[in-house]
Formats: sequence, structure tokens, C-alpha cells
Amino acid sequence: MSAKQILTSLMTVFTFVMAVTVAQAFDDMPDQVSIDVMTQYFDGVEFDHEMHTELGEDCSVCHHHSTGTGTIDDRCVRCHAESNETAEVACSACHAVDTFSAEHINRQAADVYQFHIDTPGLKAAYHWNCIGCHEQMDGPTGCQDCHARTPEGDAFYHVDAQASAAEEGGH
Amino acid sequence: MKHLLECGVKPVDSPVNEKTDQPWTLKRKLFLGLTPGQYLGQALRNPFNWILGIIFAIGLPVIAYRFLFGLSAVTHSSYDYPWGLLLGFGLFTMVPLSASGFMLGTTVEIFGRHDFEPIERLALLNGLLGYFFAVVFLLCDLGQPWRLPYPMVVAFGPAAVLFLVAWHVATYLSVQIAEVSVSFFEWMGWLGGKRFIRRIAIGLTVAGIILSTLHQGALGALFLYAPGKVHPLWFSAPFQWIFFFCSSIPAGLCMVIAVSTIVKKTMAWRCDSNFMDNLDRCTLGIAKGASMALITYLTIKLIGIAHDNEWGYLATGWGLWFLFEIAVAVVLPLCLFAYAIHNQRVGVARLGAFITIFGIVLNRLNTSLIAFNWQLYQEIPHIFEVIMTVTVFCIYIVVYRFILYRLPILFAWKEQPQEALAAEAAKPAPVRTTVSPAGAMYRKID
Amino acid sequence: MSGISRRRFLAASVAGCAATTLAGSKKALAAGSFSGYPDGMGVLVDLTRCIGCRSCEAACNKEQNLPAPNKPFNDKSVFDETFHGGKQKRRPTEKAYTVVNRYDAESASKPVYRKVQCNHCQEPACLSSCFVNAYTKTPEGAVVYNSKVCVGCRNCMIACPFNVPAYSYSSAFDPVIKKCIMCYDTRLKNGLPPACVEICPQEALTFGKRKDLIKIGHQRIQTHPGRYVDHLYGEKELGGTNWMYLSSVPFEEVGFDPNPGNEPIINNVKDFLSTVPMVLAIWPAMFTGFHLLAKKKDGHGDHEHDVEEHHDEEGGAQ
Repeated sequence: MSAKQILTSLMTVFTFVMAVTVAQAFDDMPDQVSIDVMTQYFDGVEFDHEMHTELGEDCSVCHHHSTGTGTIDDRCVRCHAESNETAEVACSACHAVDTFSAEHINRQAADVYQFHIDTPGLKAAYHWNCIGCHEQMDGPTGCQDCHARTPEGDAFYHVDAQASAAEEGGH
Repeated sequence: MKHLLECGVKPVDSPVNEKTDQPWTLKRKLFLGLTPGQYLGQALRNPFNWILGIIFAIGLPVIAYRFLFGLSAVTHSSYDYPWGLLLGFGLFTMVPLSASGFMLGTTVEIFGRHDFEPIERLALLNGLLGYFFAVVFLLCDLGQPWRLPYPMVVAFGPAAVLFLVAWHVATYLSVQIAEVSVSFFEWMGWLGGKRFIRRIAIGLTVAGIILSTLHQGALGALFLYAPGKVHPLWFSAPFQWIFFFCSSIPAGLCMVIAVSTIVKKTMAWRCDSNFMDNLDRCTLGIAKGASMALITYLTIKLIGIAHDNEWGYLATGWGLWFLFEIAVAVVLPLCLFAYAIHNQRVGVARLGAFITIFGIVLNRLNTSLIAFNWQLYQEIPHIFEVIMTVTVFCIYIVVYRFILYRLPILFAWKEQPQEALAAEAAKPAPVRTTVSPAGAMYRKID
Repeated sequence: MSGISRRRFLAASVAGCAATTLAGSKKALAAGSFSGYPDGMGVLVDLTRCIGCRSCEAACNKEQNLPAPNKPFNDKSVFDETFHGGKQKRRPTEKAYTVVNRYDAESASKPVYRKVQCNHCQEPACLSSCFVNAYTKTPEGAVVYNSKVCVGCRNCMIACPFNVPAYSYSSAFDPVIKKCIMCYDTRLKNGLPPACVEICPQEALTFGKRKDLIKIGHQRIQTHPGRYVDHLYGEKELGGTNWMYLSSVPFEEVGFDPNPGNEPIINNVKDFLSTVPMVLAIWPAMFTGFHLLAKKKDGHGDHEHDVEEHHDEEGGAQ
């Protein structure tokens, strides 16, 4: 084997290893995410993650600085530009479902070193992130555009309410 | 009644029927010594009763409607104006107009001005009935009137101004019942009760002054809970209770003049010479007291405006309305009283009294209804609420008249001859007798 | 006035005044103010987050078993409703303890929505004015109401500076006050957030301890310069409320009274209530004194009376 051949082989192996590593990095990125934690009044959302990764500029648009790919958010970049991927990237890892339960409130109060106080719960995190971007990019913004009401939801919102003779609302 | 008097019928004014020498039964006393037929006849001939009949025909069903179907049936069910005309007139206006009880009681018993005695009982009755019907109005307005005794016995919120009002009105009613009971005991012939009350008269009167000062003031203090809601010209944080207390004085006094005028015009047959002969003099005397209270009220209102630097408000629409109220309620009566007292013109004083009463009504309705929520919309009371207010007021008039016809308020109850002899025998022979001509005019209560 | 011995007079005065003192006795008012229960919970309402979806109204309706509304809760035409000649927007009623209103504020590019409900004040005016103690400020922070003692005087409705309590006038035999109780019975007592807080998709309502919410509120203002008016409404107003507001536009543009003062409403009546025991103590002696001074011992007028009194005292046969 000549030196040239050895170099080519090494380059191939290196490229292959890099490709695998990079592929590994995006390996557990889901194509579809089923958001179905709070489905009493609205159905769960079948979220097309793959489509959104193609649309979004950067993972940090939605995931802040937790994917290990840097961040474009001004408020995070100072400290987290070079941060690694966190153990859990899913939204529910940091945004709690039970955000106003006694346990959660007490947990937050006990953690004096917590940098992020006033983090929204999961429901608000989804709505702020998703609707915020949708409003700018002409995506769906109506409640039922993303998740249809369940029959229980119809009853909750009294969608069949009929106006009675008496006036509602005041005084 | 005039017709019957012309026929020689004399209404009951002593324990014994002079014609038969038998004591009157309660039933005959209730009918004034007339037969039921005669009594009904005089009632039907009275045109005022026809007006009352119409009012009751409309109003009593409305009152029943309110109690069967709730307040929403007779009011606008307003959340922003929870207190309407029933309270604005029935409580906030009737209470100062009933201040006559403690005013005349103090004048006669505390300050010893027995020259006002002829009118004292009328003033006490006016006070009692006014407060009693204020409570009736309250019962019509309360959401759950059967719970009226709750702040007395069930649950206490002593830091609330209304707690003070509730307790004081209840206690003061008792005081006034005791004071008026003297006439009642005379009429019933229960002289033991009468003597007991006379013994504690000073204590009752002092209690009456204390209670009246506080609850007249407290009704004003109720509006301190809503400082942003009452227009600044009718509201003063430090002085609101003083305004209400001070204005209750001319209110009560002028109400006595007004009622005595009505009595003199419509019930002269019921009044004895002691009442009629002294009425004009007493009226002018009361007018003097009322003028002093009115000028004081004017002064303290001006102080109140100066204190909060509210002069700018006088230039607004509300300011004009305020100036109108002051002009009509305070300045005009002052001028009338001054003229009347200076020239001994009783009729002018009476006119001044009626105008003062109108002014008090205007002031209380302004504070509680008209200038209340001045920054929101204006609310006009529901017609049924107006009807109810008028009806209950007419019931008050009817009860007033009922008592004045019977009890010795406007006339002296002639003692039984045996009782008079016994009283004479109990007295030792006087050492010194002086009978001044003036003395004969003063009536001894006992 | 007939003769009266000094002993009898004093006894009678005491008897007559006893009722007054009993009637007028009050709990001594503490001179200080109440700075709240330390662990009282509250809610921070962020008007920049609210989108007017009215889910909170629906949640309240369900949690408190309120009657069905006239219009569905997802019907936004209610924001156009006005009352009393166009001057009033919707307000809490006996059937709706909370309402959301839309404000087209001048200084905002898009509408601002505000949720209206009882603010659960630290020193509530309703509580201060109730003469049967029907209201209680619970240690958990909610101001709750006991319908079992309520007489229906509606003084609390007069006193509330936010015009919150509603009255069920339509009930003939059991009309009571209706207002937000912060889901005290069903949730707050058990450590759960109120129903409206839980349902809000935008987390416009943040639940936590009042003292922490104050810090969070100020931190939000600092972290997002320009987004908020630099004021946490309810932190100090009227003695402090447990429901506080952050807004992107001046508060008067979204239906708030901008200057209600920092004093709780009860402070307005403290001066008068302090006068009460003074009057009770001073008036008896003062007026008795007037009476004794007015009684003439000799001379000027009232001769006959004095003579007779003198004799009655001697006779003593009363």
C-alpha cells in the first residue's frame, strides 16, 4: 500500500466514524411526538416533529439550549453557547405538568440555587412556543386547529348554550 | 269627626265615661267612645282616607309580591347600587327626621325647659314611630329579614359600623318605647308603670342622647366604607358623621313643627287648650333651635369643603346641584326662620320647617342614591320600589294617626276624681304657696 | 318633673345607661395594620399573556356548580356586550364569579384582556363592613363567605372598592352573596390551585405564595424591560390584595382605578369607631351635669315646680 492509499482509507474511516457519530446525535430525535398528557377537554396532539425541524432555523428555537447544538436566543447565549446536550431534551423534562401543585411549589421554594425561577408549566410552554411562532409564520392559531375538543370539552365550554330571556353579564 | 262633634259626641279623654259614670272599656276606648257605626262613618267621610285606600290597594299587593318573589321583583337587582330607595328614604331619611325624641326630651328633662312640655309627648311619639318604621323599611329591604336579630344574638361583627347602628337602634327603640309608654299607661290606667318610668326619665333621656349621637353619626359613617363612590361634595373623610349628626337636629325639630302643624289643621278636635294655646310659642322656640343647628351645619359644610380643598368641584354640574341643595335645605329655611322669629310669624316658621324637611330628604337621597356612584351610570329606582316606599310611609301615617286619636299625646288625660283626691291626700299641707299666672299654663305630668 | 332624691336619680341613671354601655361595647381595635398571613397564597394575573379564551370562566362555572351560561364560553361576542348605556362592561354576577373583558387600549397594538374576580384583599372591605362576621380571611389567603349568618344588608357590596360581590336577588327565601372564593372549599384547603389557574392555557395566572408572587412580578418587569408598566397592581393598593396584576398598558386603560390609595378601607372608619367609646364615657356625665346645672335652686321662673319638688321630697310618698 502506498501512502496515498493509506491516507484515503483513513479519511474514509474518519468520515464514516463522523457520520455515524453525527447520525447518532440525531438518532433519538423523534419524527412524531404524541402530546397527550392533558387530554380531558381536548384531544391529544400528533405533533410532526420532523416537519418542524426542517422548518425551524435551529433546535434552540424550541429547545432553548438543551440539544447541545448551541443557541440563538440572546438571553441564553452568554452562558450556554457551548453547552452539551442535556440528559433529557423533551419539553416535559423541565416544564412540569403539575406546575401549581403544592409539591412543585415547595420543591421550587426549596431549591435556592435554581437559576430559572418563574418557568412556565408544560401547557403554557407548548402554547407560548407553538402559537408564538405560528402567529409569525401563518401557522394554525385556533384552539381546534391543533387539538379538537372532546365531548367532555363541549360540555365544559357549554357550546350548546342558548340565550335565555334574562340578560347575562351584569349589574 | 267635625260632624260628630257638632252632634255633641265627645271623644274619650278620661278613664270614666262622664255620662254613665262607668269606666271606659278598652274596646270603647279604641273606638274613641263612639259606636262602631259612628266611627266607620267618620272614617268614610274623611277624603284623606280615600287617597289612602287607593294607595293601599296598589301598594299592599306590591309588598306581598316583594316577600313572595324576592327583591328582584321590586328592584333593579343592581349589584352596583345595592341600596335603593327603601333604604335611602326608609332608613337614611326617616332616622334623622325622628331625631325629635331625644331633642325635645333633652330640652325638657335635661335642660329643664318645661315650657316645651306641651309638645314633648308629640316629639317623643314622632321619634318612636319614625324609628319603628325605619326598622319596618329595613325589614322590607333586607335579603333575609327573619335574620334581623342575628347581629344581636347569633354572629357578631363588632368592628362594623352597621353593628353599632343595629345595636343602638334596637336599644334606642326600647328607650323610646319606655318614654312613650307613659302616655300608654295613662290611657290604660296602669299608673304604677307610669310612675316607674317617670322615675328613670333622666336616665332614659341621657341614654337617648348618647345613642342618638352615635347612631345618627354612624349612619353617616357607613358611607366612609365607600370613599370613592360618593361625590366629594357630599363626602368628608373626617367629618361625615358630624355632618349627619348635626343635620339630624334641625331634621327632628322641624319634623315636630311639621307634624304639629298638620295636627292643628286636621285634628284640632283632639288637642286640648294646653296644647293649642302653647303651640305657636313652642313652634317659634323650636324654630330658634333649628336655626342655630342650620347655621352650624352650613358652617361645618363649608369647613368640610375647605378641608379637602373641593372648591373646584363647585363649578361643575354636581357643584351646582350641591349649591341648590344648600340653598334650599339650609339658607332658605334660615332666612325664613330669622324673619319668623324676629316678627313672631308662626306661619313663616312652619313653612321654613317643611322646606327644611324637604332639604333633609334631598341631602340623604343625594348621599345614598344620587351622588352615590357618581362616576358610574345614574340609577333610577324601580317603580315598584317607589310604590313600596310610599305605601309603607302611608302605613306609618295611619299608625301615627291611630295613636294620636287615642293616647293622651295632644291632650291631657283627665284623672279620675278618686285618684285625684288620693293624690291630694298624700301630699302634706304646703308651707308656701305661690301661684303665678304663668304657672297655670304649665302642665304637671304626674 | 316630679321630685327625685339624689340616690334614686343616680340609681335610675345607671339603670338607664347600663343598656347603652352594653349596647355599645366593642372589641378594642388594634392600632396596627395586618400584613397578611405569612403563607397566604395568591395569584399573579399577567395581562400580557391572556388571550381572552374564557377557559377560566368555564372552569369556574364547573367547579362552583354555577348555572349554565347564556352563551358558550368560547363565544367571543360577549366582549362586545355593554350595559347601562354603553358605560359598563361585564362584571361578576350571581351566576358568574369571574369574567374576562376585552380592552382596546390606546397604547396597545392589540386588545388587552383582563380577568375580573374577587381580589382577596389582605384587609378586605367586605369583611370590615359585615356586622355578622360573615366573611373570613383564611390563612390560606382566600376571603370566604358564610351564607348561614348573612342577613342580606348588602353593606359589603357598598364597601368593596372593586364592586365585586353580587347578590342573588332573584331568590325569595335564600338570597346570599355570590363571589369568587378562590376555590377554597374544593381546592385551596387541600393544597390545590384554583380551577381557573389550572385550566389557563397561557399561564396568565400564576399561583403561589403572595410574598413569592411579588418577587416574581418584579422580576418579570425587570427581565422584560419595556413589556410591562413598572407597577404590580395589588401589591400595596388598599392594604394589599392576594390577586395582583401586571399589565403592558397603564392600568386605568384596562378598567382599574389607578389611585385607590394604599390604605385598607377599614382605616376610613377607625377614627369614627374610636369616637364611640369616648361619647359613651363623656356624654352621661356631661348631660347629667347640664341637668344639674339647669335645675334652678331659687329665683327666676319655675317657682311652682321647685316648690312642689321640695314638698314631694319631704313627703316621699311617691
